[in-house]
Amino acid sequence: MFKKKKWAPFFFIAPAVIILLLLVIFPLVYSLGVSFTNWNIVRGGKWKFVGLGNYAYIFLKDPYFRTSLKVTLIYVISVVALETILGLIVAMLLNRPMRKIGLLRTALVLPTTMTPVVVGIIWRLLYNPELGTLNYFLELFGFQPLNWLGDPSTALPSVIVADVWEWTPFMALILLAGLQSLPHDPFEAALVDGASSFQIFRYVTFPLLLPTLIVAVLLRTMDAFKTFDLIFVLTKGGPGMSTEVLSYYTYRYGFKFFHIGRASAYSYVLLIIVIAITQLLLRFIREGEER
Amino acid sequence: MIAGRKRVLDVLVWVGIGIVFLVVLFPPFMLFLTSIKTNVDALKYPPVWIFRPVASNYREIFRLIPFGHYLFNSLIVALVSTFIALSVGSLAAYGLARFRFKRSKDLSFWILSIRMTPPVAAAIPIFIIMRTLHLLDTYLALILAYCTFNIPFSVWLLRGFFQEIPREIEESAMVDGCSPFAAFWKISIPLIAPGIAATGIFTFIFSWNEFLFALILTGSRAQTVPVALTGFIRETGIMWSHMAAAGVLAMVPMVVFTALVQKNLVKGLTMGAIK
Repeated sequence: MFKKKKWAPFFFIAPAVIILLLLVIFPLVYSLGVSFTNWNIVRGGKWKFVGLGNYAYIFLKDPYFRTSLKVTLIYVISVVALETILGLIVAMLLNRPMRKIGLLRTALVLPTTMTPVVVGIIWRLLYNPELGTLNYFLELFGFQPLNWLGDPSTALPSVIVADVWEWTPFMALILLAGLQSLPHDPFEAALVDGASSFQIFRYVTFPLLLPTLIVAVLLRTMDAFKTFDLIFVLTKGGPGMSTEVLSYYTYRYGFKFFHIGRASAYSYVLLIIVIAITQLLLRFIREGEER
Repeated sequence: MIAGRKRVLDVLVWVGIGIVFLVVLFPPFMLFLTSIKTNVDALKYPPVWIFRPVASNYREIFRLIPFGHYLFNSLIVALVSTFIALSVGSLAAYGLARFRFKRSKDLSFWILSIRMTPPVAAAIPIFIIMRTLHLLDTYLALILAYCTFNIPFSVWLLRGFFQEIPREIEESAMVDGCSPFAAFWKISIPLIAPGIAATGIFTFIFSWNEFLFALILTGSRAQTVPVALTGFIRETGIMWSHMAAAGVLAMVPMVVFTALVQKNLVKGLTMGAIK
């Protein structure tokens, strides 16, 4: 029945595809072209074709690219690792029959659906060296107050903590859903065999949960590469370059220095990194779908 | 003996859950507390815990800056973008869920992969194009920019909802003489109405929360709430109590909406990748 009318699929799908081609693919192709020029919008419309010049600059000459890449990798790896471990712990804690689970879930997911700028504001308030609550608690327990976001050595860890607060609930919710959809039989069999809680986790729960865990980790990894709002509100990449992640660095090139050519090249470098990870994610999802 | 150990474990678990919720809820609680303090109280250190709460900050943000205007902008942009994403997205989602054609699977994954594009990569060319078209600082610029992530999201999520209805229902309608579009519109859409509502709430939340496009594409006229919030951070210092009040107002609708979609929360946050 669905095969007879050949025009039907195109009628349904075409509007979305046309809009996405115009709004995403055309701009991306356009900026690929721009990435081969030295276009700077403050210098007016004059630009020259520089071939791979911008890319050569990024990889060979730019003293800050490597720093920014390093900051990005430290950031992404730390937040994903921490959020996965903490998320798994929270999911295990909540994985029990409970009344009011809906209410708890809404409270738990508050950080994740909260406007990211507001998350940034909240943490700026907590970290503030003059009036922040965190220093108040530090002093209360006899520690030295810290200049959390103002000191290059603590700025990145501080931003990471805010990200962990924002996204651990996301991880926990996905893993909780995964835990609740696991079959009962393997657990009963393990209990009958007299396995300890740790053994059950290690040999039953963890392997069964692994597909969910992988998808969650990859989703979170891709998002972590894009982090912009939190950096913008908390540190603007500073102090120095200590929190200058690639997405923020690209933004600065484009919208502070207006060097559109080089910013486009930067955005392509970022894009390629994310595409590589996306491909990995899609492969996992696809395998899951075909099963 | 074993029962005793079990009880100890139970207590530990509940203590753990308590700590989790304390950590989750304390930061927004501090924001709320700051929002009902006078500026003098907000700047006191050590922080004051007992004070006379005031509502003046909530009134003043509408007087100090055109906050009502920004709320209105956010609302318009999010609503229109949601409407476009739902109409275009439900058509495409239905097409992808129901028809098998060459490369239909590749098309699905192509649409999904658009959602994964780092916004900053799309932001630069979109900015240049909007500038050339003289669309900077208009609702249209933001609405179009938000379509880049809302359409892929709604296609992917709605596709999952369509796949859940048995295709026999539509087939029997078509045997009775319905066109494919009539089957879609009269049979399938009503059946997934809850899914459409959930998808709409998600796209609304994403649009409301979006910051990067709003930052670069708008000036004063079309500015949205998240960008307006950063306006309280000034060279001369931060207007804490006012910013906190504005932050609470930006947050409240999202809390309500989250509560509404909480059944579909995991599906939405992962675009249905995990069942």
